[in-house]
This record gives sequence, C-alpha cells and structure tokens, in this order.
Amino acid sequence: MTRPPSGEELKVCCAAAYSSDVVALLLGASYHPGGTALTRRLADGLALTPGARVLDVASGRGTTALLLADAYGSDVDGVDYAPANTALAQGAAQAAGLTDRARFTTGDAEHLPHRDGVFDAVVCECALCTFPDKARAAAEFARVLKPGGRLGITDVTADTDRLPPELSGLGARIACIADARPLRQYTQILAAAGLSTLRTERHDDAMLRMIDQIEARLNLLRITAAARLTEAGVDLTAAPAVLAAARTAVADGVLGYALLIAERNPRLA
Amino acid sequence: MTQAPAPRRKVDRDEVFVEFTKSICPMCKTPVDAQVNIRENKVYLRKRCRYHGEFEALVYGDAEEYLSSTRFNKPGTIPLAFQTEVKDGCPLDCGLCPEHKQHACLGIIEVNTGCNLDCPICFADSGHQSDGYSITHEQCARMLDAFVASEGEAEVVMFSGGEPTIHKHILDFIDLAQARPIRNVTLNTNGIRLATDKNFTAELGTRNQAVGKSVNVYLQFDGFDERTHLEIRGRDLRTFKQRALDNCAEAGLTVTLVAAVERGLNEHELGAIIEYGIDHPAVRSVAFQPVTHSGRHVPFDPLNRLTNPDVIRLINEQRPDWFRKGDFFPVPCCFPTCRSITYLLVDGEPGNRTVVPVPRLLNVEDHLDYVTNRVLPDAGIREALEKLWSASAFMGTATTEEKLRAAADALDCTDGCGIDLPQAVKNLNDKAFMIVVQDFQDPYTLNVKQLMKCCVEEITPDGRLIPFCAYNSVGYREQVRAELSGVPVATVAPNALPLADRLTATPYGSKTAHTTREEGESSS
Repeated sequence: MTRPPSGEELKVCCAAAYSSDVVALLLGASYHPGGTALTRRLADGLALTPGARVLDVASGRGTTALLLADAYGSDVDGVDYAPANTALAQGAAQAAGLTDRARFTTGDAEHLPHRDGVFDAVVCECALCTFPDKARAAAEFARVLKPGGRLGITDVTADTDRLPPELSGLGARIACIADARPLRQYTQILAAAGLSTLRTERHDDAMLRMIDQIEARLNLLRITAAARLTEAGVDLTAAPAVLAAARTAVADGVLGYALLIAERNPRLA
Repeated sequence: MTQAPAPRRKVDRDEVFVEFTKSICPMCKTPVDAQVNIRENKVYLRKRCRYHGEFEALVYGDAEEYLSSTRFNKPGTIPLAFQTEVKDGCPLDCGLCPEHKQHACLGIIEVNTGCNLDCPICFADSGHQSDGYSITHEQCARMLDAFVASEGEAEVVMFSGGEPTIHKHILDFIDLAQARPIRNVTLNTNGIRLATDKNFTAELGTRNQAVGKSVNVYLQFDGFDERTHLEIRGRDLRTFKQRALDNCAEAGLTVTLVAAVERGLNEHELGAIIEYGIDHPAVRSVAFQPVTHSGRHVPFDPLNRLTNPDVIRLINEQRPDWFRKGDFFPVPCCFPTCRSITYLLVDGEPGNRTVVPVPRLLNVEDHLDYVTNRVLPDAGIREALEKLWSASAFMGTATTEEKLRAAADALDCTDGCGIDLPQAVKNLNDKAFMIVVQDFQDPYTLNVKQLMKCCVEEITPDGRLIPFCAYNSVGYREQVRAELSGVPVATVAPNALPLADRLTATPYGSKTAHTTREEGESSS
C-alpha cells in the first residue's frame, strides 16, 4: 500500500507544480475547466446588478473579470499571485477598453489587499483547490464581502481518500488535484468562515474535457520536445495510465468539477 | 346499463416546434412554408405543397448541438457587389441578391457537363452525354471577373464539372484564375486523368509553384471496398486513385480526399479513409459529404439520411483512439449546422500514430462565440480560427498554413520548462491534417434560413453567384444547363423512397416528377 502523502507534502507538491509552471505549460495560465460558458453560469448565480463591485481572486489573465465587466456591467477588481498575470490582465483590459471597470493587482488570496465589506460578490475559479490554507482564504472572501454578498466558486472536487495511487504522482501534479476536496468539504470550509452555500452543481464533463486537454498537450509536447519534457520531470511513459485512472475517477465520482454559490451570513461581524 | 363515456383527455404533441421557415416543394420546386421540429434529439424539417402534399426529412442528427451551435454564427460580410435584385423572395432571386447574408468564401465554376464516368451518384447529373455544354475561354473569364468583382481579393475558386480535367482548356482556365486576384485554385476531379497523364499532373504541379498562388486537388475518394466503387461510381477505380495520389505526391500537389457517404454503402469506411489520408504523403485533408440527394443518386429514405452529427459519430466510433465527441467544431461563416471541421496534429509512423485534435488543445468555442462573448482574450486568435473554420480553408493554401501557425498563439503557455509551445507548434505545419464534414442541402432538406447565409457559390456564365444548395435544389442547375446547351432539361426531383411511384427517369439518369394532367394544370 502506498502511504497517503502528508498535508505538508501535498502543499509542497501543489506549490511546486505551480511554481515550475507545469500546469501553465500544459494548460495555459488562464485555463479553467468549463471555459466562459461555465463562467457565465457562475455569474448568473451571483445576482449581479450593473455597477456591482466584484472581486476576482486568482484572476489570471483577466478572462473572467473582463467578461463580468463587459457582459454584466460589473466594476471588477482582479487579484493574482503572479505579477506577470497582472500585467497581462491589465493589457487585456486596455485592449478591450475596459480599464474604467476592471483593475488588476498582485496579491495573495490568503491576505487580500482589500478593505472589509466592500464587494457585492467574490468569484474564484479553479484556484481554491490550490490554496494551501483554504480556511484562511475563505475567511478572507467573507471579510471583503458585504453582508449578504455572494461568493461564486468553480473548482476541482476530489474525494482524496479514494483517489487511486496513480493520481498522487504526475496526475496530482499537473492537474493539481492532490489538495482538492470533496464538494461537501468546500461547503464546510465556507460555512466555518460564515459563508452559507445556496446552491451547488456538478460539472464533471468539464473535468473530463480538462483531462482530454492535458492528454492532448502532453502528446503535443511529445511531438515537439520530448527531451525537454523529461527534464521537466514529466514521465511520459506513466501518462496513459494516469489519464486513464483520472477518467475512471471522474466516472466513479471520486474526481470532478463543481460550481458553488454561497452567501455571506448577514449577521457576520 | 350504459357505461359512462371515458373523459376526453388532451394529448401532447410528440415533437418540439423550434422554427418556422421556408423551403421548396421537392416535386415542383415552388417555395412553401416549412417547420423545423425536434423528436428524440433529432431535427426534422417538414413542409407541405398544396399540389404535392407533405414532405419530411431529417436535417440534423443531434438536436442539442443544433440548438447550441447558434452562438457560433458569425455576422456575415457584405460582398462588394450583388448580381441580382430582390424580386420574388428567397430562394428565387439568386444570386447573390442584396438580402443574402454572406459573401462567397468559395466560388465554383463548372466547366462542363461531360464526364469520363457515369456514376450512379452524381449531383451534377453528368456523364458520357453528347447534349451538354463546355464553357469557353470568354465565359470562364467572365465568371472569374464576376467572382473578383464580388470578392475583391478572392481566396479560392474551385473548377468542377462534369469532369473538369477532360475539358481541353482546363489548364488555360487555371491560368486565367491565377492572372486575377484569386489566391488559390482547387481542382475537383475523379483522378482518372491524374492517374493516367503524368504530364498533366506535372503541369498542375508547375502552377502550384506560382508565387503567392496554389493549385490543390480535391479528389473524389469514397472508400476501399469494391462494392463502394461499383455502387457509387459504377466502376472499380481503386488502382486509379492510388496512382493519381502517387502522381500528385511526385508533382508536389496537396490533395483533399473527398468521400460521398451514403447509408448502407460506405459509412463503415470513414476511419479507414482518414487513416489512409494521414499515411499518404500527398494527402493533407479529408472531406466527408453525405450524398447530396440532388441530381442522380440511389433511392434513399429522407427520414434516415446521414447528417453531419451522424458522420462525426461514425468517425468517433471507427477510430475511438483518435476521436471523441467535441473534436469537431461547427463553421461560423456559413450557418453552423452546414459544416463542421477539425484539425489534427499527427505524429509517428503508420500503424502507430499519435493524433492530437486541435480543439482539445484550445477552447475554440471561447473564441468563436459571437452571441455571448463580446470581450475576447485575443482578437488575432479569433481571426486565425475564423479563417481555419471556414469554407475557404484548404490545406495547401498559404492562408490556411499561416492561420494554423497563428492559432498556436492560443496555446497560452509560459516558457517555464524551456519549451515555447506556441513556437514549437509553428514548426508543425507538415504534421497538420484537416477533416471537413459538410452536409449539402437537397430539395427535401432545403431551409432558406441556411441558404441565405450560404458561402459556397456556383458562378454562372451570365455572372451570377448562386448558393450551391440553391443551384442544386431549386432548379437553377437545370435552367443553366438548358440555356448553355440549347437542350431542354427536365426539373429534377429527389429519388426518395416515399416518392417512388411519382417519378420517372430523365435521359441523364436522375428522376423527374411525372406530370399527371391535374397536377400539370394546377401547378402551371
């Protein structure tokens, strides 16, 4: 039996994956499952009114924030850990003529650089699973939300106890599923921070699509730069088994993708 | 004792009514109202002619995709010139009339009606016929000028027929096209001359070298079974196809294999055709076209015909290691239900291929959604994808190769591991392979909604640009042939099973409605 990795090891694994940009390499920095169609579905659940102040946590290259600013008329702040992403998102806002409604700054989700109770809504797409201290991040979401404000999350769900051993190696690393949680655990983490879940939806097809995309990009790398991939520590011979295990895990409900809408408890201090 | 009558209950219809549109009567070609309905996740078009009764046909095998593809409908581009006026309404004013919603991505010139084959399936009703026509240099020049007047700089003209390679001036016609601002010529052929006349193939190869121009081959290629050849072409052409392809490879010509796909005939050969194409050095793309039930064809059931989603499903089933649902994406320049395309990156040796469908590498839908997405991550990527997912995209043209390179920018990867993926992909052009699935409309399936945005046009010697499916279905083909040949041509009706006892054969092998006295009087 494989010993389950400790929490610390998981954090290191996940952080390493991100810092070495294997995920970005394979999926692109702005990638998230479900694409803009799922972002719209998420936004529809936030009851946004024109001019609503929205914070996009882990805003990447600004795709979600700009969609909210344009299609929903929101006033959006984006925050991302990577300065390079902040610059790219600012450039995209400029190109779209949305700088008056979309601002981007560099910052940490666990220490948001925003004042208490200023946002009507907070969105966080495909990122909570990667935050080492999820309770802390949830508390930050709650802190910056106005009472009654809504939180919208789309994220990887994983029943970590039931994940097959193949998914604690490469799979965990590239898809960063190792520190994802079951959907009910996300709702518990949020509840502890004073965020009551109003609605959840499963979007496991988006996860399958992401697995397809990882496989396609691995194949592309094998075609273009097999040697460099090996140097980066990606074991190509293991990939087919890992991807098959991931697809099985989705079919078995162990691994998936979910949408979640929560509301800040109006009485939260 | 009397039993109380059972209470009458209202009953629900067994279909969802989704569109009210116009079509034509397949018998007399009169425009009629039509409705589009969904039953059991399939889309049907139904219409009624006051003289000839009701007609219904399957138009799309996946209702969910039919509905969801509407957001991939690109706003049309207005051509530089319209050739006709709006008078009687669609589809009687072709064309193009000012109500047409799209310019011509692809112009087709049929140079003749004669052919060195007499295929049981031929939407053009061509063959060894002495009473057809061949266009002259002057006519060809006028047709090309009409195309350029409408397009400015035109992307592709296709020479077709009949069999264009037996027209004695076909090379001159290609020269006429290359002398004009038309970037690419595609030659639509059965390949017999390419197989048997190496000098001719070499002449095409020379013209393919012209700076800024290309000549590509659109080779009829329906499969590998002897039966497929006999039932679709009336002759076993397998060795001809092989030799034609080898000669094209030698001449440096890029080939698209074009398969007419019919239920019960060659629908099992789709995967094999793709694999054969990938393995042959001359072939860079495959086009699958469900048999167009215009002109001459074998009897068919309109309610059980092949549509784009059916063809794609068969491809997925026949090469499950390579394809999955979602790998094909609808083309936004025409109506998205008319055509679907995928591009592949292919590596490895025959028998041990790695195949990567491009839509799995990037979210095409995020870039080609014209209804809900107004802010784009990168307008340059949308433009590249628009050119790739277009009726004017042909492998072997500079535009398609260039846009494949540009689309690599959508692989928004960082350089973390020392691999610049977009840059690496830009060097992969010779590994790119294209698959097109195109369901042309026929007199049964014609929906003017789609016709009004058609971007594949037949160019006529009098300088009109007539949407391909209108040309084949509404009666324009018969009119043009009669005018050019001086021989009257009967109005062709589809050889559909429900019409069997109301049809007679024409001299060319197609069917026409036999006119009873009453019908003749009432429809005149």
